[in-house]
Amino acid sequence: MEDKPRIGVYVCHCGTNISATVDIDTVTSYARSLDSVVVAKDYRFMCSDPGQDLIKQDIRELGLNRVVVASCSPLMHEATFRRVCEEAGLNRYLFQMANIREHCSWVTENGKEATEKAKALINAAVRRVFYQEALEIPEIPVNPNTLIVGGGIAGIQAALEIANSGNKVYLVEREPSIGGHMIQLDKTFPTLDCSACIMTPKMSDVGSHPDIELMSYSEVEEVSGYVGNFKVRVRKKARYVDEKKCTSCGVCQEKCPWKAPSEFDAGIGERKAIYIPFPQAVPNIPVIDTETCVYFKTGKCRACEKFCEAKAIDFEQKDQYIELEVGNIIVATGYDVFDPSPIIQYGYGRYDNVITGIEFERMCNATGPTGGNIVLKGGSAPESIAIIHCVGSRDEHYHAYCSRVCCMYALKFAHLIKEKTDAEVYQMYIDMRCFGKAYEEFYQRIAEEGVKFVRGKVSEVTDQAINEEEKGKLILVVEDTLLGSVIRVPVDIVILATAIEARSDAEQVARLFSISRSADGFFLERHPKLDPVATMTDGIQVVGCCQGPKDIPDTVAQASAGAARVLAMISKGKVELEGITAVVDEEQCSGCKTCISLCPFNAISFDEEKKVSRINEALCKGCGTCVAACPSEAITQRHFTTEQIMAELEGVLV
Amino acid sequence: MITLNNLDTKFKYEVAEEPGGENIKLCFACGLCTAGCPVSEIDPEYNPRRIIHMVLLGMREEVLSSNLIWLCSLCYTCQAHCPQNVNFADVMKALRNMAVREGYVHPSFANRIKDIDTFSQRLRHQMVSSVVDRKSEEMELEPAKLAEEALKGLKTKV
Repeated sequence: MEDKPRIGVYVCHCGTNISATVDIDTVTSYARSLDSVVVAKDYRFMCSDPGQDLIKQDIRELGLNRVVVASCSPLMHEATFRRVCEEAGLNRYLFQMANIREHCSWVTENGKEATEKAKALINAAVRRVFYQEALEIPEIPVNPNTLIVGGGIAGIQAALEIANSGNKVYLVEREPSIGGHMIQLDKTFPTLDCSACIMTPKMSDVGSHPDIELMSYSEVEEVSGYVGNFKVRVRKKARYVDEKKCTSCGVCQEKCPWKAPSEFDAGIGERKAIYIPFPQAVPNIPVIDTETCVYFKTGKCRACEKFCEAKAIDFEQKDQYIELEVGNIIVATGYDVFDPSPIIQYGYGRYDNVITGIEFERMCNATGPTGGNIVLKGGSAPESIAIIHCVGSRDEHYHAYCSRVCCMYALKFAHLIKEKTDAEVYQMYIDMRCFGKAYEEFYQRIAEEGVKFVRGKVSEVTDQAINEEEKGKLILVVEDTLLGSVIRVPVDIVILATAIEARSDAEQVARLFSISRSADGFFLERHPKLDPVATMTDGIQVVGCCQGPKDIPDTVAQASAGAARVLAMISKGKVELEGITAVVDEEQCSGCKTCISLCPFNAISFDEEKKVSRINEALCKGCGTCVAACPSEAITQRHFTTEQIMAELEGVLV
Repeated sequence: MITLNNLDTKFKYEVAEEPGGENIKLCFACGLCTAGCPVSEIDPEYNPRRIIHMVLLGMREEVLSSNLIWLCSLCYTCQAHCPQNVNFADVMKALRNMAVREGYVHPSFANRIKDIDTFSQRLRHQMVSSVVDRKSEEMELEPAKLAEEALKGLKTKV
């Protein structure tokens, strides 16, 4: 060890978060009495500027070469205090944090015990920091290419933001066209812009942008590497149509005799077995659905091939695998619409005229299967329509969270119904949540249009009439909680304002990108308020509804935020790697190769000449697997040496 | 006019401490319990949502002395569908236990209720059984007549 350790200990009050339980004076003077501690001070908020300056000043004036801060969780402020040390010329690894808030003052009301525990934690940190060593912080260049996964409005926005700066973007979309859920919507609240009108310009920008490589009908299969240097394997699914030859004339789908429910029309319309999902699709190239195509089942038909003048149909096409190298990844995989059929009392799937919100969007849209007419099954005009809010949201049986968009899209539906029909409209709501810019004004506008609001959750939708008036109708049973009476509302169409939920394959996607999910299934951001797009995996951002339910303005804002993060990384050009890595003592290594097979990052190779393992520090993430597994104890993890860990344990136990 | 200050603000915590009352504070007053309640259908005065709200506001006297808390038939419809898992049928049990313990009802009343409960369950069983026995036949059964018939068999037992 270079110099004799001179340790400074700084005890934070955290307002009253710590000081209300822990006796700060006792703890500080205890810290002062510990071996090698030169100074111990307390302050109301150590993380504030004056608190930080206090530490910097002491490092410079008292020649401190080790620092301990006793405050909150390292998750909260370790980075802050490491930076403080560095600004005063001290290596960040000569700093140690004692968590006397989450692990101490917040978990007990017993001041005496909390004070004792704080002392023990500080003693442990002081003993540990005594043995800590300065570590080198490697820097690596950042690959300026970016991968964006998901071509909904979030992915499109992020892709354009990044590509407009002149940097390369690979946009991978699972479906045959980009556009996501937004392109399915008829109008958007609260401005009532036509969704396709505001979205298709962005979609065609993506399709023609020189810096965006659009990979539609493709899926990410494998991700390896680390921030700045990811390697990604993409599977480009066979369309059975040659993209270079196809002229998008549409004759193939005209001539194809086989039909299936249209995904784009939410199942209420039909498409052919070879199809372009919707007229404005980007790319505007058809795809063959092999489940429906009769040629793939029986080997006969090939009608599309016969009529294709460009000779673009290729039944022999195979899936292609493409390897990409990117520095950053933005995950924008969107959401699934909640399937209301488990809520049997609402009769979805049982009654023809109980439909979901997304089905109504397609019915209402001029390009939809009814040509934009709002009609009952069979085509007759409705006299009354009810919209049930919170279907699958705010319900412990399905999703406890609020989906944030349903109140507003229900109001939008009411407006469109009033505009297009003479029907009465009922909103069955629990609470109206109209919180965005110009949203409350929209609510007032719809109220003025004469829409009826019933405050209560519908208990049942039934066709069992009890009087003449109810005959042939769907009857909603609900308590109007403002009247305090149970009412029966006979209507022709029931629209279920279905929830937004995490993608059914969110778990696999999370594993693919090494990101976490919150309890509700959505991807977890690094910090709910102050770091809402980053994840715990450096270089991977989450934007849009895959992070949680949100409306279009919030999605677009978040997508731009994700792009800003990526652009900051690209313009800096380099990234710091973790200094905590494992190192092999070649003298002790027996050459058993146990570590090589266990390393999850393929960071260990074998030196055939010396017959020893060698760790690539750029690839090592410091997970410690090899350290624990090595039978010869030849591998040490920097910053977690046996000496340091034993000293810390002794500190807690003494 | 109800003055909020005169109410017992601790009441809801006491109900939450009582077995069955644990989730009462989660209620967001959607009225699903009331809309599906077969007792409310017969007697609109009986309103589960309103009873929960009275507990949350602290209307101790009014709730525990009320005849309404004895009307619940414990069919559990409210409990099965409540989006907040308030478990209203269990809340009812908690309120009844508190009412008995705190002397809002005479002990003989509780015994009588218990008798009625057993009796009506048996009556229900008899009536349903006799319908079930004849379910393959074409039948026009008057519930009142059915009850009369079922009661004949029960009278000796109670």
